[in-house]
Amino acid sequence: MTTVLDSKIPEGPLNEKWGNYKNGIKLVNPANKRKHTILVVGTGLAGGSAASTLAELGYKVKSFCIQDSPRRAHSIAAQGGINAAKNYPNDGDTVWRLFYDTVKGGDYRSREANVHRLAEVSNEIIDQCVAQGVPFAREYGGLLDNRSFGGAQVSRTFYARGQTGQQLLLGAYQSMSRQIGLGNIEMFARQEMLDLVVVDGKARGIITRNLVTGEIESHSGDAVLLCTGGYGNVYYLSTNAKNSNVTAAWRCHKKGAAFANPCFTQIHPTCIPVSGDYQSKLTLMSESLRNDGRVWVPKKQGDNRRPRDIPEDERDYYLERRYPSFGNLVPRDVASRNAKYACDEGKGVGETKLAVFLDFAEAINRLGKPAIEARYGNLFEMYERITGENPYETPMRIYPAVHYTMGGLWVDYELQSNIPGLFVLGEANFSDHGANRLGASALMQGLADGYFVIPYTLGNYIANNELPHVAETDEAFAKAASDSSGRLEKLLSIQGTKTVTEYHRELGRLVWDYVGMSRTAEGLKKAIVEITALREDFWKNVLVPGENSTMNKNLEFAGRVADFLELGELMARDALEREESCGGHFREEYQSEDGEASRNDDLFTYVAAWFHTENGHQLVKEPLTYENVKLTTRSYK
Amino acid sequence: MSSKNPLRSPIGKKLVTGVTGLGLVVFVFIHMTGNLALFTGNEAYNQYTHFLTSLGGLLYVIEAGLVAFFLFHIVNGIQIWLGKRKARPVGYDTYKSAGSPSQQSASSRSMIITGLILAVFLVVHVISFKFGPGGPGNADPAYVTTIGGEEVRDLAKLVRENFASPFYTFGYTFVMLLLVVHLRHGIWSALQSLGAMRPSLTPLVYTIGAVVGVLIGAGFIALPLAIYFNLI
Amino acid sequence: MAENMNIKLKVWRQAGPHTQGRFETYSVPDANPHMSFLELLDVLNEQLIKSGTDPVEFDHDCREGICGSCGVVVDGVAHGPQRRTACCQLHMRHYQDGDTIVVEPWRAEAFPIIKDLVVDRSAFDRIIAAGGYVSINAGSAQDANNLPIAKDKADLAMDYAACIGCGACVAACPNASASLFTAAKISHLAMLPQGSPERKKRVTAMVDQMAEEGFGDCSNHAECEAVCPKGISISSIATMRREYMKAMLS
Repeated sequence: MTTVLDSKIPEGPLNEKWGNYKNGIKLVNPANKRKHTILVVGTGLAGGSAASTLAELGYKVKSFCIQDSPRRAHSIAAQGGINAAKNYPNDGDTVWRLFYDTVKGGDYRSREANVHRLAEVSNEIIDQCVAQGVPFAREYGGLLDNRSFGGAQVSRTFYARGQTGQQLLLGAYQSMSRQIGLGNIEMFARQEMLDLVVVDGKARGIITRNLVTGEIESHSGDAVLLCTGGYGNVYYLSTNAKNSNVTAAWRCHKKGAAFANPCFTQIHPTCIPVSGDYQSKLTLMSESLRNDGRVWVPKKQGDNRRPRDIPEDERDYYLERRYPSFGNLVPRDVASRNAKYACDEGKGVGETKLAVFLDFAEAINRLGKPAIEARYGNLFEMYERITGENPYETPMRIYPAVHYTMGGLWVDYELQSNIPGLFVLGEANFSDHGANRLGASALMQGLADGYFVIPYTLGNYIANNELPHVAETDEAFAKAASDSSGRLEKLLSIQGTKTVTEYHRELGRLVWDYVGMSRTAEGLKKAIVEITALREDFWKNVLVPGENSTMNKNLEFAGRVADFLELGELMARDALEREESCGGHFREEYQSEDGEASRNDDLFTYVAAWFHTENGHQLVKEPLTYENVKLTTRSYK
Repeated sequence: MSSKNPLRSPIGKKLVTGVTGLGLVVFVFIHMTGNLALFTGNEAYNQYTHFLTSLGGLLYVIEAGLVAFFLFHIVNGIQIWLGKRKARPVGYDTYKSAGSPSQQSASSRSMIITGLILAVFLVVHVISFKFGPGGPGNADPAYVTTIGGEEVRDLAKLVRENFASPFYTFGYTFVMLLLVVHLRHGIWSALQSLGAMRPSLTPLVYTIGAVVGVLIGAGFIALPLAIYFNLI
Repeated sequence: MAENMNIKLKVWRQAGPHTQGRFETYSVPDANPHMSFLELLDVLNEQLIKSGTDPVEFDHDCREGICGSCGVVVDGVAHGPQRRTACCQLHMRHYQDGDTIVVEPWRAEAFPIIKDLVVDRSAFDRIIAAGGYVSINAGSAQDANNLPIAKDKADLAMDYAACIGCGACVAACPNASASLFTAAKISHLAMLPQGSPERKKRVTAMVDQMAEEGFGDCSNHAECEAVCPKGISISSIATMRREYMKAMLS
């Protein structure tokens, strides 16, 4: 087993590393690219952009997605925007500043070189997307509009109404479609990757299940690109799409790929709260609402009066009280944690008491209803559609929800995992956001990886490695295929009493309570025990209906929940190991006197990479070195 | 750059239907105003019809054009209807319109029915008037009159005779009402098919379509009713 | 908590693409006004699983109205009674205790049923693959601001680009035509200079592909616009026809 992880950071000063890397790599002869089959799993921003770009370069690409079309991956739901260091507004932005903000925002738990490269290619992404016809918002002069997002001091966010993710994804999808039409990409929709096939130590193929017929298929290739998104659905309720899952990444992990920083998850403070047990997912409201909305709870516990009947002096505007200089605009993690504390104190509002108010009355008085409508009209409409309440008249109820996972499969500078030939892109890797992701940088990372990083790093791998043909009839494929179908048969044969959803909901509650916004050693230990017990019970008592040979979404979910049940435990272990508070990871034992996160740079400035072994998980640390930025403490007081 | 057979494509079919449809609207409008000549007297009407027959070769060209327009319009309409049945072989148990901005209406859904009835009517109409007594190949001295010393066909007499029959009059009126129903959707639809629409204009054009349709229908219906009830 | 409602669901069940389907009626006694329509189906499915019956399969993913996965005909209207709303965001507060709701899949020859309420919409992907893109390879773009685009044009392009590809337009069209879907993409790219060099090839190829897939012809009922969760205007169809005529005449 690998015990030392080599991040392969190129030589040279920070701003020359990517250039040096590109100068030093081997290239693949154009005539030879056609001979190499690349398997791209997932068709979100990372997968879509990678598949189209590699096909443009001449590789033979096979692309897989679990949805019915490559246009539907969950990148589509990103609302806010995409960052780039264009500095069109002339407000002082630079590549360095975007790099610095991202490293600082990540609470100094990401690699300098990776993040700098991300900032460097950010501008090319905007150029590429505009050339594809992505209808970004524009000024009257016809040039691109920018806005400030997530508390950034410069306006560097490009956006397409509240549907930036959709438009960027459709841009990538259209580029893919062009390559599909040209015959350079073979598309496999409604196919789920169930296993990675490793031959002679290299990733050489995948096992998939055809979600319509249930058939198990083998696909061999020269490299596998995993672009399968994050694992937020381990919490059952999250803003992720219902089908988002960790299975492909987890199967790779079990085949030897290290899983890094699983405890780094991001909780978004402004989501529409849960209304009942039947709740299937959570809906995000743009955090721009906090620019004009004031967050409060009643001072009195269990106050059931209507919000308008609660007088000013009986309200606690707790963010304004605790953070006088940032007030309602504190970062996501701080806002989320404080909402939890308010509810833990019994001051939550609404039927479930798991919500706080976000009140626009003061802004409406000050600016007038038309001004608020112009700014947030569509969000208010969405809120009303879902809750049936009119936010112009009564405060919104909001609560934090899991939104993004910074952790993921470990990759080096080339986005290659520790299994040669297995590359991991986008949210599925751990690489660029450290312990906390800044707003409008997820889209940037997905597209950077796919359009501008992987074409170089994959080529370097292909050019440097002997990759003899591996047939799909090879023993390794047969073994992996039979393991996969055995697992499905096992799930169907249990015929217990509890449904997959019931297990998932229970797992979600455990992970949310103990590995959520605020964590303690005691809680994490309890989580490990309880998740393990739940997992054992699952394999004895789950009730999966139907059969393997037709479309059977419950069977798909069963396999995914089985993997979440393993991941949940690892998240707790990772959180337990990390005895500090940083970014999205808040350990109650490690806070300052006034309740703020206290990081421990001396002991924990590392990437926690976990290996799956027969005797459980083993931790390997990749130390992080900061040569260019000075580690500081965030303060929003 | 264009497809192999652009006029057979989904858009080509609509273009053909739209162009022929609008052409036919112009034709029925002229036809309708011509009919109104009978309100000023038999002589004016016969003079008008004589003018048309005296066009000679030009009339044949116009008639050939009309036949072509009708045929293209009808054949495309039928093909679109057949295509629609093929495109949804199994229908819904429950189906209803979602309402505005949908323009779906009894008119839009019955285009094939009103269209086919109008086509059958057209044949009957041409046989009973154009090829009726005194018409081509059907010389009849009873239907000849003189205007300014010249012998001309007395079509006015034939019209008055036909519309003395309640069956013919009310049948004709009913079919003209169907024409209104056809035009209610047809005029707007033709303009949309030809790409002439802008979202801001949709309600206006839809209204104009309806008004023009009603005007044409009213013009056609006025004459037979006036004759039947001895008003002229 | 809000009062529970008893809702009856008359749902289309079909085991596979080539098997005979039928309606089944189920009763969901603990529906709640706050739940979404898809959550009602979730609750029904949990009920069915526990009683040893196969659950009703339906496509769904983001459940916030943007991915375009979900789509069923609810009481005769694609995505149900609420305007500009995909059925994942339709909430049960629009119904009363004791209501019966008829649920059917999209019905079109070009969208064959896979199982229950799930249909195959890959025809849409093939229409896009025929020409719904700008041919630009990664890395060859000029600076984004070298190409000023008037704000009203860009906004209009965005209106058309908002299509989520759910297929409601086809489902609701009396002719099962895919004109709105195809036109939305053609119009989005026709509004922008980036789309201009390929506009003639694009419109021809996409329209030909649309016919190839077996969709019906448009009869300008405009039902598509009424059910579109994004409210895409049929002015896009007019634009598509203008684009087509330009291509035809060149």
